[in-house]
Amino acid sequence: MGSVVKRAKSNFFIYLLILPGLLFLIIFSYIPMLAHVIAFKSFKPALGILGSPWVGLDNFRFFFRGSNWLRVTFNTLFLNALFIGFGLSLAVAVSLALNEIRRRLYKKLMQSIVFMPYFVSWMVVSFVIFAMFNASEGLMNRFLAGLGREAVSWYASPQYWPAILTFTSVWKSAGYNSVIILAAITGISGEFYESAEIDGATRFQQLRLITLPLIKPTVIILVLLAIGKIFFGDFGMIYGIVGNNTLLMPTTDVIDTFSYRSLLQNNNFGMSSAVAFYQSVMGLITILAFNAVIRRVEKGAELF
Amino acid sequence: MTAQKAARAPRARASDTVFAALVHGFVTLFALFCLIPFWLMVINSFATEASILRNGFSLWPEDFSLYAYQFLFRNTRVMSHYGVSVAVTLAGTVMAVAITSMFAYGITSKKLKRGSALSFMTYFTMLFGSGIVGFYLLVVNWLHLKDNIFAMILPYLMNPFYVFVLVSFFRTLPDELAEAALIDGANDARIFFQIILPLSKPAITTVTLFFALQYWNDYYLALLFVDDYKLYPLQMMIRTLISNMNAQQFIQGSRTNYAIQVPTYGIQLATVCVTIGPILLLYPFLQKHFVKGLTIGAVKG
Repeated sequence: MGSVVKRAKSNFFIYLLILPGLLFLIIFSYIPMLAHVIAFKSFKPALGILGSPWVGLDNFRFFFRGSNWLRVTFNTLFLNALFIGFGLSLAVAVSLALNEIRRRLYKKLMQSIVFMPYFVSWMVVSFVIFAMFNASEGLMNRFLAGLGREAVSWYASPQYWPAILTFTSVWKSAGYNSVIILAAITGISGEFYESAEIDGATRFQQLRLITLPLIKPTVIILVLLAIGKIFFGDFGMIYGIVGNNTLLMPTTDVIDTFSYRSLLQNNNFGMSSAVAFYQSVMGLITILAFNAVIRRVEKGAELF
Repeated sequence: MTAQKAARAPRARASDTVFAALVHGFVTLFALFCLIPFWLMVINSFATEASILRNGFSLWPEDFSLYAYQFLFRNTRVMSHYGVSVAVTLAGTVMAVAITSMFAYGITSKKLKRGSALSFMTYFTMLFGSGIVGFYLLVVNWLHLKDNIFAMILPYLMNPFYVFVLVSFFRTLPDELAEAALIDGANDARIFFQIILPLSKPAITTVTLFFALQYWNDYYLALLFVDDYKLYPLQMMIRTLISNMNAQQFIQGSRTNYAIQVPTYGIQLATVCVTIGPILLLYPFLQKHFVKGLTIGAVKG
């Protein structure tokens, strides 16, 4: 007992440092997890979580029987797959190309420009998209009119939005990812290139045979990290751009926006909880599965 | 850097010249794709409303004016929304950086027996979340923060990702530093404030900027917890402006009937520009530290 007290005394300052953060974790991360039980209850705010009656799997039955389940799951996975596929391939291309630029000032300028969209909020992005695609004044329709084509009412045509959202995602995040990949490229020893140069390899051969294989681990980690989050739609982006426009929902409604609407617009706590629980569990399963995959593919790169 | 030396090797081949041209073309095109939206917003915020209505957003407007900005600052509540955004960002960032760096140093400390348990506890929140319902009930029903400015501050005070960025940085500092100070009679507080923090300036600056950017750009918390428009941050003001426009378009199908005196497009653009203004002004500084922070090893999180 004595030693415990002594240790507590000597570690007092360290405990003090940890305390606010620990409180934060408990209050903002762990206590709200208790609300997952609402997924199994018919929640009435007046009765509280404990007082509300259990309903077993009714909320889940309701969610999985409806057409929403398939649509939001498909949209979440499909959109994220598009974002990861196009976003990362472009990021790799941009970082490889940036690395080939020899004039340092130009390279720096280009890097600064492609990184810029990362710093802009989704609301501003949403405004730009509105300026591009709104029916009467939008740049796209003016452009189409210039070509003598008929105007498209973009905000009523869901089929275009996976492409528009992918463009947006690439615009916003390719620069960010290319900075990470470029850091990996900078870490490659110059000796490889020097000996390749002596052997008469062209720049393109050097890129293909030295740079690409050596940045593969970094790219694999980025891909796997993104896949680990594939069940989580980017709420800030999608709600920011699409909002409550029901016409676009067939292709843009993701798990996160659906669960948000169930809660705040329909006040359906049970449904929203069931959706969030389903998402959290699927998310956990994906990340555990992919961690096992990483452990196989890139030993040492696994997350835990 | 050595890679660049190799790049300057003298032998130039035809294929390399073609390749270099392709590479430059590609990067320049992509950079234009990234830059043009910014250019359009900024340059058209100085265009007259008439010129926007005539030509849409153009790369170089016919007539310039400052009318949108004058109107924005005189006739709208932009300054008070600006105040909300600034207050949330400043207060949030200061508190978040303090809590996050203290916690990160604490769980790194060798003196702590349960450090790895705490670190797992932090990590687990990245794997398994509470979902929107628990979060909403916590803030609204249990903490009673609806329409309270703290609802836009508290939920982002600590972020596991930035905790681990700092943890991985603190781990790079040699143990001998703290040990030597301990032998010289310094206590934990002095070691933290006078040795660790000054040495960690680059990492802490990066995390500070990450937090500041998150607070400045966020609309999610305001969307969930703020109904009182007086408490709206700038991002929500933009949202309101767009949805008003959207609604108008939806109902009328065109812009015909609003009074010409109100420069609708001009105001929207000017609002967007004052929102991204601080980011653009601080950009060289921001960019430098973000690149540094990403290179520290933030990839692995």
